[in-house]
Amino acid sequence: MSKPRTYTYFPGCMIPYRLPHFELTAREVLKKFNVELETHSEHSCCPEPTTFTGVDFEAWVTIAARNVAVSESTGNETVALCSGCFHTLAVANHMVQEDEELKKRINKRLKKSGLEITGKHTIKNILHVLHKDIGLDVIKKQVTNPLTSLKIAPHYGCHLVRPLEATHMDHAENPQWMDDVIRTTGAEIAEIEDKMACCGAPIMPSGEDKALTITASRLDQIKASGADAIVVVCPTCYTQLETQQAKVADKFETEYNIPVLYLGELLAFSMGMTDIVTANQRRFHRVKLGALLEKIGGTP
Amino acid sequence: MVKQETMLDLEFRSWLLEQPEGETLLRCYQCGRCTSACPVAEIEPSFNPRLFLQKILIGDKSIAENQLVWNCLTCEQCEVRCPEHVKIPHILILAKVRGLMAGNVPLAALDRARTIISEGRSLSVSSPMLKTRTKMGLPDLGTPSMDQIVAMLADIGIVGKLENVKSVYGDAEDE
Ligand code: SF4
Ligand code: SF4
Repeated sequence: MSKPRTYTYFPGCMIPYRLPHFELTAREVLKKFNVELETHSEHSCCPEPTTFTGVDFEAWVTIAARNVAVSESTGNETVALCSGCFHTLAVANHMVQEDEELKKRINKRLKKSGLEITGKHTIKNILHVLHKDIGLDVIKKQVTNPLTSLKIAPHYGCHLVRPLEATHMDHAENPQWMDDVIRTTGAEIAEIEDKMACCGAPIMPSGEDKALTITASRLDQIKASGADAIVVVCPTCYTQLETQQAKVADKFETEYNIPVLYLGELLAFSMGMTDIVTANQRRFHRVKLGALLEKIGGTP
Repeated sequence: MVKQETMLDLEFRSWLLEQPEGETLLRCYQCGRCTSACPVAEIEPSFNPRLFLQKILIGDKSIAENQLVWNCLTCEQCEVRCPEHVKIPHILILAKVRGLMAGNVPLAALDRARTIISEGRSLSVSSPMLKTRTKMGLPDLGTPSMDQIVAMLADIGIVGKLENVKSVYGDAEDE
């Protein structure tokens, strides 16, 4: 086999230490394409973009820029699996590109640790890697267990996609890349109203009632589409739509029971690696996957 | 007294305009599309991004201490619809920053910020979780040099601020 293509993997906090099944399935799926993820111990919390920004924006952009600078020192492109991390690094990088004064100010701080941000580094998310770098045709060739019986609702989430000038995604209101990747598995795409609606998670610390109202409306839209499962990229969306799903159902006296999968888990199913998902399902999936696994011919 | 208030207000507005992307505020012509696109405004009529921007534009700094700003999802639905590409959630973020020392910061946000500054992660890494990672065959990620990170932030003063600030949120649940 030829030399693997290596990315610097920015881990952040949520995926490696709360939802490591995201990292596991992403790594295993990427290995099929000879892609390796290397880490760097100097990477810290990105910092997360929903609350730390409002505590001290200057500290946020400085720590984010430091993380980008650490990545730059590796000479590889960066991939952040978490949408929050991706958003933070991409936005900070973009701000430094656009604002000479900010760049100077931050590089002065970074100099103490021998680091520098140029603003030229490439920050990617998993869709850039799958859709652009690997390519749909190559992905299709690894699909040994087509998921033609499934109808999937892609939930993109806000921070993966916006703002376009920093994320370099395909569309701010009607993105297609995750749909395309899901279609390579043979699954059908469920048409959901309000494709880019928010999961509600960012305001859990400040207004839980409002957050859960938004989550319920999102789950209602998805339920109405008749999807067998929701597929996400973002661990925070996962926490809101999966981990909190029963709570939302209770609060609004309704039932959902919609399984939520990380995109890497869906791809693992389609590539005959169902076991890496089922081995960890009890710990990380509150909504049971049994019916879904039966549909695709796996053992629940 | 009144005069001093006015000066402080203008100071807030000019501070905001000097921040990265803060000057996009001046492009707002109050059309209200942001509010009609906002999912929070839909369920909470007192959450009105157009009005928040109007207040900041005329130099009313009360928004910085208004707990409503923390109800912004940072979803950017508003920004996508804004004909002038005003960085709306970012401007609300800057308002939050100015409200920090008055305690306009949710407890969970404060705790998270303190964890980030002391441990370099937004959550505490437990040893069972480290074992789980090993069991899953996932690599050890190491730990960043916190002393370097803290030293780098010295001129910003965040460490001292986080030591002194008291959140006005949820005191009842707090103790
Ligand atoms: S949509 Fe833009 S221009 Fe219109 S009121 Fe909102 S911020 Fe101002
Ligand atoms: S970013 Fe904030 S103000 Fe804008 S639409 Fe979302 S919740 Fe509303």
